[in-house]
This record gives sequence, C-alpha cells and structure tokens, in this order.
Amino acid sequence: MTTPPNPAPVLSETDVQTYPLAGVRVIELAQGIAGPYAGKWLAALGADVIKVEPPWGEPARAFGPWPEDDPHDETSGLFLYLNPSKRGITLNLETSDGREILRELAPSADLIVESFAPGYLESIGLGADALRAGKPEQVMISLSAFGQSGPWADLPWTELTVFALSGQMSMTGEPDRPPLKNGGSQPSYQAGLNAFCAALAAYYGAQVHGEGTHIDLALRETYSSMLELYAAGNSSMGLDFPRRGNRVSAVWGIYPCIDGYAGLCCLQRNYDRMAEALAIPELKEPKFADPAQRLENEDELQAIMYGWFAGKTREEVHQLGLEYQFPAGFVATIEDLIESDQLNGRDFFLGDDHPHAGKLKFPRRLWRGSEHDWLNGRAPELGQHNVDILHHELGYEMEDLPRLRELDAI
Amino acid sequence: MPSKRPLEGVRVADLTAMWAGPYATMLLADLGAEVVKVESPKAWDKIRTLLAPPVSPGEQWWNTAFYFHEYNRNKKSVTLDLADPKGKELFGRIVAKSDIVIENFRTDVPAKLGLSDEWLRAQNEQIIVVGMAGFGKTGPDANAMGYGPIIEQMSGLTALSGYGDDGIPMKTGISYGDPIAGLGAAAAALTALIQRRKTGKGQYIDLSQREVMTAQIGEAFLDWNMNQRLQPHWGNGHDWMAPHNAYQCRGEDEWVAITVRTDQEWDGLVRAMGSPAWSGEEAFSDQIYRWDNHDALDAHMSAWTGGLTKEAVFDACRAEGVPCGPVLKMADLFDDEQLQARGFYEEVNHPQHKTWLVHGWAWQATDAGPCIASVAPNFGQHNEEVLGGLLGLDQAELDQLAGEGIIADRPVGPQTLSEMEAAGTLSAPTVKLD
Repeated sequence: MTTPPNPAPVLSETDVQTYPLAGVRVIELAQGIAGPYAGKWLAALGADVIKVEPPWGEPARAFGPWPEDDPHDETSGLFLYLNPSKRGITLNLETSDGREILRELAPSADLIVESFAPGYLESIGLGADALRAGKPEQVMISLSAFGQSGPWADLPWTELTVFALSGQMSMTGEPDRPPLKNGGSQPSYQAGLNAFCAALAAYYGAQVHGEGTHIDLALRETYSSMLELYAAGNSSMGLDFPRRGNRVSAVWGIYPCIDGYAGLCCLQRNYDRMAEALAIPELKEPKFADPAQRLENEDELQAIMYGWFAGKTREEVHQLGLEYQFPAGFVATIEDLIESDQLNGRDFFLGDDHPHAGKLKFPRRLWRGSEHDWLNGRAPELGQHNVDILHHELGYEMEDLPRLRELDAI
Repeated sequence: MPSKRPLEGVRVADLTAMWAGPYATMLLADLGAEVVKVESPKAWDKIRTLLAPPVSPGEQWWNTAFYFHEYNRNKKSVTLDLADPKGKELFGRIVAKSDIVIENFRTDVPAKLGLSDEWLRAQNEQIIVVGMAGFGKTGPDANAMGYGPIIEQMSGLTALSGYGDDGIPMKTGISYGDPIAGLGAAAAALTALIQRRKTGKGQYIDLSQREVMTAQIGEAFLDWNMNQRLQPHWGNGHDWMAPHNAYQCRGEDEWVAITVRTDQEWDGLVRAMGSPAWSGEEAFSDQIYRWDNHDALDAHMSAWTGGLTKEAVFDACRAEGVPCGPVLKMADLFDDEQLQARGFYEEVNHPQHKTWLVHGWAWQATDAGPCIASVAPNFGQHNEEVLGGLLGLDQAELDQLAGEGIIADRPVGPQTLSEMEAAGTLSAPTVKLD
C-alpha cells in the first residue's frame, strides 16, 4: 500500500491521463456529511477541492469517532473519512473580509458545492447569481434537506426526521415494532452520492455545451427517488407496503445461523438452484412450486429455512451461493470487510499511518477504471492551506494573515 | 428550462435489466442521454412482468407494469436476440455509434454472450464500458449473484442496523443496494466521459455494487481502526441527542420522528406540548440529563403523541422550530405539500393504463422543466427508429429480422398473464399484495 502524500497534491491538466478531474477546481462550502462526501470523490478523482471551513472548524471535526474516544479537532474519524485529498482553508463568512476572499476565490472554481441553509449565501451577497456572474460555465450545487424552494425550505431537520419523511422508514423494521432507522447516516450519504453524480453531469454538460447551471438537491427528494416499486405501486395500483422485518418472503430474507446472520433473495428463476443447494427434497414439492403456492405455505417454508440456516455458518451459505449460483450472502461486519480477501484483493482500502490518528484503513475508491486511478491524500488540518491559497494564489501579503486572523476572518 | 440537458448528444447502449442497472441508465436518460435499452425477444427485462396490472386492455402486460415505468422512462427500446449472430452483429453496429455500453450481468455472462470488452472495443475503439457485477469482475466472489438485498448484507450496512435491544441486524425496507449501485455506475460513466473528452480514450469500468454501498458507512471503519469497536445498534436513538425517537400517534401504525439537538429546541418542544408539568423536572433539565433519562422522556413523549395525529404533532413542532418528521407511508408522499410545491411527482400517461404518479428529477437544475419527456417504451418500440434510422436497415430487412425472431414487438413465450402463471414464468409475488 502506498503512503499517501501530504499535503494533498495539486495536479495539472496533464495529469488527466491518470486522474480524470485533474485541473478541475472545486470550492466546497459544505459541512457535515452530504456535501463533503460528494467532495471526497471529486478530490479522489483528481479535482483540486478547496474546503472552506469556519475558523472554528466544521461540525464533522466534532463528531468522532476518535482514538480512545478522546475528542480532538484533527482526529475525528468522520472528518478524516470524508475529506482526504482536499485542501483546507478557513473563512468566516460572517465577516466582510471573509466574504471578500470568497468573492475573489470563486471565479477560479469550475464547481461550487454548498450546503448552507437555503438563502444564506444570497443574504450575504454571494448567491449563485453573484458567484456565477463572471463565469456562466460554472456549476453550483446547493444541498439542503428539503430544497431551495417551497414552504419547508427552512424547516430544521436531522437524519432521523429526513429518513421518516423519505418514505423508506415506514417500511423498515418489524411489523409489530416501531418503524426503524437504518444504521449510520444514510440520508446524508445517499444525498452525497447523488450530489457527486450531479456534479459530474453538470460539469460535463458545461464543458460540452458551454453552459453551467445551479443544481437544487434535496436530501429528502433524492431518498424518495429510490422507493422502487413502492411509491409508484401505491399510485398505480393502490398497494400498501407494511413493514416486513427481515423477511420479504421465506426465500427473501435474513436468518440466524451458527456464527451470525445470513440470507438469501430468490426470485422465481433462482428457486430451483436454491432448492438444489439446500438439498432439502421437500423444497421441490408442489406446495412450494411457485410464488403463489409459497405464499400460501409461507410459515411452513420459513420453518424449513430457519432450520437449515441454524446448521450453517455464514461462509458456508456464501460458498453455496457461489457454487449453485443463487443469491445468498451474510451479514458482514466491519471486521469481516476489513479482512475480506475479495475487497483486499481488489485494492479497495486505503491504508495510512496518520500522525495524529494512528493506523487507518478505510474505503478509498468507488470503482476501478482501466484509464484512471484514485488519489490517496490526507484530509487537511484546520486552515492548513491558508497560505497556499491566500498568499500564493490570491496575492495577500504574509503580513495580512495575522491581521485577518485577528479580525476572525480566517 | 435550460437550453440543453447536460448529456444531450450522448448515446448509451443499455444491456441492463432488473434494478441496479436500469436505475443507472434512468439517471443518464433523465440527464438527456439517448439510452437504447436492448432486450432479447426471448430474454427480456423481467421487471416488465413484475406486478403487471391485473387487467390491461389488449393484455399487453409487458408494456404496462408500473415498476418497469419507474426506472425506464426517457429510454428507447430495441429488441435484438444477441444469441443470434445477426442480432449480435447489429448490436455491434449500435455500439459503434454509441458512447457508453453498460451491463449488470454476472461476471461470467458477457463472455458467454460473446460481448467481451475486446469485442466491444473492436466495434468502437473509444467506447466506455461499464460493468457493474455485484462483487466486481475479479477475485473469489466475482461470480457471486448480487441482488440488492444481498449487496446490503455483504456491505456492512445491515450489521449496523437494528433495534438495539435484541442484537438482531435489520435489513432496510427496500432493495437499497440497487439504487446506490446505480448512482455509482452513473457516476462512473460520467467520469469516463469527462476523461475521454480530454484524452480521447475510452475505457473499461469495473464497478462492484457491494463496494459502492460499503463506502457509505465510512466512519464505522474508522471506529474499528481507532478503537477496534463494532458500532452498536442505535435503534431510533442517538449517541447524544434526546429526545430522538419515533413516537406512536393516533391511528393505525402511525408514527412521528422527533429530535432535539439544543436547549433552545427543547424549550420549543416543551411549548409545542403545552408545557406539561413533567417537562420541568430536574431529570429533563439539560441535554445530559435528558439523554440519561431518555426512557422516561420517551414515555412522556409517547403519551403526548399518542393522542394526536402525526400531522398535528408535526404542525406543533414545526411552529416551535423543533426538527420533526411524520413517518410517511407511500400514500402520504403524494399528499405532501413540500413535494407538491416542488413538482416532485410527475404523471405517467400510458394509453393502456390509468394515469399515475412517479418521481421526477432526483435533483433538479433550478431552471429545469418536467423530467419525464417520454414514458417507458413499449417492447421494441424503437426498432425502426434505431435499426432503420440509425443503422440504415430498410423495411424489407426489418421484416426479415422480425420473421426470423431476431427482433420482436412482444416477448416470445406465454402471451397472457394466465399463460404466464401456468408456465411458472411470472416473476412476481415476492411482494404480498394483500
């Protein structure tokens, strides 16, 4: 594993043979998870992502996890995960100097990603129209919980309330228990992945058509766009979809096994191979022959499945899926993943010996491209690149920096 | 309306079926790409037969399944039997005029179909090929079947989800791995397009659906790195916020999520609840007390919400600046004032089906008009346009292809729902319809 360069390298256009976004400048005015997650992948693909934080640091620095649960600005696991290969500056946009510096920096950007409360940037004279005025090909992406417009634009939100409003929560969890939130921070992560995709599409469009745009991305709406058959099924056929716990059907669900939990997901065309793999003759009886029959005899079939899984390890289930070609897997933990031959063999993880946070190993890329690679830089320390950007790029004198710091502008 | 959608001028030869792949190409089609969905008359996208409406005039059930429409709007449909040399040759000519080929076959399938990367590149040196096998194209799991629910289990997300009091991991309510992988694949195609524009080179993308999903739980890896800790199931709770839960409301299975981050929000919640006496107790007097006593707090909260509709709780919290969200069921989404104000849902008008609603833009350009320029195509609807118009075949050639079963305007096999049922080829009711 290569040692990541630190600070994050600044690439030139010529590096585009390896890094697709080399030479693309992104200004990240986003905090927390969603916007920075989009910025994470833009940076990894070679864009020069300048992360703008307030002088006191963005909230993800205060979220942890930390080594030994000891809070520290530079060791928050969430921050270190979301911000590799970016450059970091501090700007207080509540000060006129801070705003002026952003105004000077903005024209250098091909993309601006922001996640302030809707209307905030306009209120300080730095809205999309102002920032994009001199550069029509620039793309701005605004992330918010409910969108830039509409009666709820200013509604306060958290991960849980957005998840509730997305529609997915009503279908997640046991039928006789409350609806349940997924683990982690999926409302924000999925929005970040959408924002990454939106950024690439809008940047490509701007390159080809010479025209940028302002994207209005709402966390709740990107989430409600993935309701598969459920929302449209209600509108089209009046279907309701109650919670079904860990089982959509006996052959589509998760069961306890010897060393944890494993599962399967069989459509009609997968059923016969599954029955072969489980080697239970009863599964081939007419009472289980098609989906309608199986539904009729659901309890009986579930009992068979419980019994079978109880005698198998997770790895045995997985290997049978591979051998007999039916959809099977297991509930993998972080430890399983970090030790996975499949993932390590595909060079999925980045290793780092971080000066403050110790030895780290986490996902470093989304896919493998035959013509590109992903950068392995570190996340910036607070204000690490103030001199690079303010002095070397914008031409502020070194003597100006202490004054700006005094004014609480940087 | 912007003068152009960003991907206008990009053509995609789309071999994907089911969920993850069609979600990717839906995004590309919404963004303006010309997506040519290629299905074999003998092996069509099974979503066409999943939950088809029970009665549709003319029984063209293969064109009317709402789920098929969900992910296939704005696309074109061409039928080609790729197992036939002529069909494959025609597909090669489509590839020659395309920018992107995308497939979500199991790893060993493209080679069996003779659609290797080498063959595709021989048709078009600059082609971008996106393969999105469940576990990637290499390694011991390369040929594992990767349906969304399996991807979710294998990704680590399921292990992090659960009520917390029973240790049982819990799946999400949808095949969450599918749209997430679809987003990743769309992003991969866009990245390759951007790079090709600058270098002139096409490329091969090997995307593992599981890896895209695993990347969405990053901080859990850091916790393992730093503390060798597997994160606990938080249920609907939180590691420092309280209240932070789903509370039952009046009605059948009606719930509302309420969360409080600050003392200011707590004061707002107290006002929203009508300043009940218990809220003044020391046990709830600051963030730390409230978190320590969250079970007692939740009991009081439930007593309040239990007498109200989820909408009434939402209105009361909203008026006092408290983050709150009713747990919306599918039918609730269509009545949602915010989604309505933003035009989130758009009508599908299909001649053989009553009008219904599907989501439009996942994200919108601020000056965008409606997303859905055309409803999902009928089976083979664009055979003439693509094979005739794009490839230059004349009517006699098209007729001959139809005669040989290489193209078709209906799936080969059982033709009615009852025949489908009899033949056991209906891929439907893993979903309970009652």
